[in-house]
Amino acid sequence: MSPNYEELKAGLEAVLAAAGYRDLTVRVAGDASVGATRRTVFIDVNTDTNSIPAVAQVSSRASQLALPMTASDEAGLVNMAEDAGVPVASMLAASDDESLVGGPVVIARRVDGLTVPRHVLRSLAEIAGAGDALAAQCGAALARLHGVDLELVPESVPRMAEPTPAESYVAELHRLLDNLNHPHPVLRLGVNWLGRNLPDAPTHPSLVHGDFRNGNLVITPQGLGAVLDWELAHIGDPMEDLAYLCMRTWRFGQNDNVVGGFGSLEALQAAYEAEGGLWRQQAFAWWMTARTVWWGIGLAFQAWNFAEGRSSSIVHAASGRRVVELEYDLLNLIDEQGGL
Amino acid sequence: MIDQPERIELLQAMAATLTDTVVPASSGGPQHAARVVANLCRILAREAEAGATVARTLSGDLQELLGTEGNLKELVTALDAKLAEGDRAFEVAALPALRRNVEQRLDIAKPDYR
Repeated sequence: MSPNYEELKAGLEAVLAAAGYRDLTVRVAGDASVGATRRTVFIDVNTDTNSIPAVAQVSSRASQLALPMTASDEAGLVNMAEDAGVPVASMLAASDDESLVGGPVVIARRVDGLTVPRHVLRSLAEIAGAGDALAAQCGAALARLHGVDLELVPESVPRMAEPTPAESYVAELHRLLDNLNHPHPVLRLGVNWLGRNLPDAPTHPSLVHGDFRNGNLVITPQGLGAVLDWELAHIGDPMEDLAYLCMRTWRFGQNDNVVGGFGSLEALQAAYEAEGGLWRQQAFAWWMTARTVWWGIGLAFQAWNFAEGRSSSIVHAASGRRVVELEYDLLNLIDEQGGL
Repeated sequence: MIDQPERIELLQAMAATLTDTVVPASSGGPQHAARVVANLCRILAREAEAGATVARTLSGDLQELLGTEGNLKELVTALDAKLAEGDRAFEVAALPALRRNVEQRLDIAKPDYR
């Protein structure tokens, strides 16, 4: 069971105290969302002199998609991305002690702006050129992230690069699919296709966000305010992030705007290259296919967790009827790349 | 005896009540949950209408493809196991049945997606 607000307050105060903050109280303002891998809660960190609006994110122990990165290393990684020029929500504290709030937790400053995808799309549609401008900011941010020196990346950040990022990813998809106690033949076919159609490897692996999409971006009047949710970050192929951002499922019905439902691929690619990124088209298409399979598996896991009583979320229950959207996208993506 | 309204009408009425009455009167998480449940009611109404035909079609396709009999769960499990062997020629043979099933299920789950 997730802790209630009183338990959360006490646990978060302990996490902040351990990080060196003194004489503070936490006010839990409310749940922001319960996602596939973590619960996000709005809080205020109050001291005698000021109040810091913040967000606490508690990872779920029920998540099969989570990678084995520690919360403290995740916080270090966000700091690293911030230093590289990626807009982030600055970290206040992190803890891997699951006894405090029921799971590993990161606490970051709150960045005011829009995150709900349909609100983001509605707001951008009102201003000519705003969608492409945001796509360009995403491209630039990803190029900076992908340029981070891997020597500095914490040890617990998963390496998915051997023998190549794509081969490593196919093995991971096989593992996830085999762990699902329910047959998904279309996704199985997709993983087979991925294994037979591997893209060229990147010249060097990069730090990859792993969940860079509409919904994990804070949008302010100036555009990209912060990139959230770093728990799936890993070392891999930089094209993975670019492809994931462009998946149909994250366009929320605005299919003409390939990038997150708001911008053009040209704007994303031009900004990525202008910031020093190397665009590889075949790898881009392959990774979009791979991430479509991955999210299909992710939705299937949510449904399975509900069916097995590990989750009581109606959203997770409904995910079972969404897997078919990803299956449909997958078959179309395979067709677009020459078929089986 | 036959009770009224029938299952599909009831599910449609449940969806309409949630959408027209509960959603406008709520906000945040509860409002989102009401939207999700309303959508599930509509999916179940379509499933009540077309689900049996979709299952029958898949069952026939898989019996022909696999050359074996069984209930739908057994057939889908056998298909998954066969695909796990990675035989490309079998995948090519299976693809039309897979695509047909995906399109039929999508028409139930999200008819405006195609």
